[in-house]
Amino acid sequence: MMSKIQKLLFVALIALAGCKKPTDNLKVVVDTDIIKYTALIQVTDAANGVSAPANATLTVSGADANDIYEISGKKQFKLTNGIITIGPDPDAAPTADKTASCNIQISAPGYNTTTKSVTFTADQKQQIINVSMVKTGGTVTAPPVSKPQPVYESVSLNFTGTCASRKDVEIRPSMYLFYRETGTNAAYQYLGYMEKGSITVTTLQKGKTYDFQLIYGGKSYTQTQLIDETNYDVKVDMGDACKDF
Amino acid sequence: MFFVKAFLCRLPLIEILMKKVFLVFLALVVLFIKDVRAQEIPMYGPDLNQKSLRINMGSQGVGAEFGYGINAKTALRLGANFIPLSANNAVNVSGFNSTSRVSASFSNVHLLADFTPFANAHGFRLVGGAAYFMNANGNLQMQPKSDYSYGDIVVPAADAGNLNMRVNWKGVAPYLGFGLLKAFPNHAFNINFDLGSYYLRRPDANIVGTGLLAGNSSQSAQLQRNLKDYRFLPVLQLNFNFKL
Repeated sequence: MMSKIQKLLFVALIALAGCKKPTDNLKVVVDTDIIKYTALIQVTDAANGVSAPANATLTVSGADANDIYEISGKKQFKLTNGIITIGPDPDAAPTADKTASCNIQISAPGYNTTTKSVTFTADQKQQIINVSMVKTGGTVTAPPVSKPQPVYESVSLNFTGTCASRKDVEIRPSMYLFYRETGTNAAYQYLGYMEKGSITVTTLQKGKTYDFQLIYGGKSYTQTQLIDETNYDVKVDMGDACKDF
Repeated sequence: MFFVKAFLCRLPLIEILMKKVFLVFLALVVLFIKDVRAQEIPMYGPDLNQKSLRINMGSQGVGAEFGYGINAKTALRLGANFIPLSANNAVNVSGFNSTSRVSASFSNVHLLADFTPFANAHGFRLVGGAAYFMNANGNLQMQPKSDYSYGDIVVPAADAGNLNMRVNWKGVAPYLGFGLLKAFPNHAFNINFDLGSYYLRRPDANIVGTGLLAGNSSQSAQLQRNLKDYRFLPVLQLNFNFKL
């Protein structure tokens, strides 16, 4: 009874004859950095160093394999455009005394199966593992020499993930970001790791338009942005990813 | 109800109207006092030189006042009120399966004038004045109701973080209302009522999140917009008056 009286008093007091519900249009913003130690796996064809072999698959094995998840927190290790991000469960995160490690095996029809070891250490939150796949019967060649990235004025991007199906939730992604110049149809290149949706880079040229790509839960999410200022808030439609929050 | 709400929603109009009514009321009180003194009319009447101690309770909590009749029709009262309130699970945010605890804390010192406009109706008073709210806070804390599933990973509710919404109306607020029953007791004690509203300053509002909800500070601007018209603090109060 006392509780009801208190609620009534509270409503009378706090409502203050306002017209709009205090929580109208408020979004719940959720961070995705639950898996704090991650490895970006990039699988490419050794012949050109860019495109990913078709139908490549990845399996995880080794001592800590049970603790390793895709960045969306699932046990589904699906390569998307040759890319996947994996990491250990927060409870199995590496410490100064203990690392977390696993082996990844990548197979693709017509290519030699490749295995690599991935070790997560407490002093390295992000790492990139490049896996170069050699065609069956082919020879291992030196990886193509990549051109140095040009350096432009610093640009800050603040990404927010939105979902048409859950307008009351927004995602602040912590994940690896890829880019390409719009209209080139070139393969996406690694741009950097964004922490809680924010990333500052010097590889984007003012006056150009870029496609940005996130890969999360085995799906690719893209957004296009013209760069002519130094700071942008970029909304990325993340499809049905919000239903997990 | 619809008309009341529609009326209240015209807040800029109300704001102007209320300020004007308040100023007119104060001007009338001042003019009345000056007029009485200028004409050297002998001061007599129900309120003249009377003193009382008032204990009150109502929608603005509990408090005490000292009342003094400054002329036949007008009395001043100086007092203080405070109210601490809290309630569990009074608020929900869509998309956030959560428990909530909402609390409010208001305390003020105020100076009000009771004006008895009708000689044959001493039980009806117009009341105006202002208060300084030293404390006028509303807090809402929300946290996930259960463990949070992120894909196949279970994050304990305690690690997921929580949301804290804070609203602050601290400052000066005018008051306008009316009173029922006589301002001062004929003998040792009486009871009277107040019905009115403070008009608080536009509130400051912000959201602070922790853990996975740390990004919700970006919603502070929306909360501020939602609450900008929450400025009326209704007063429904019962006064116990002891003659001094």
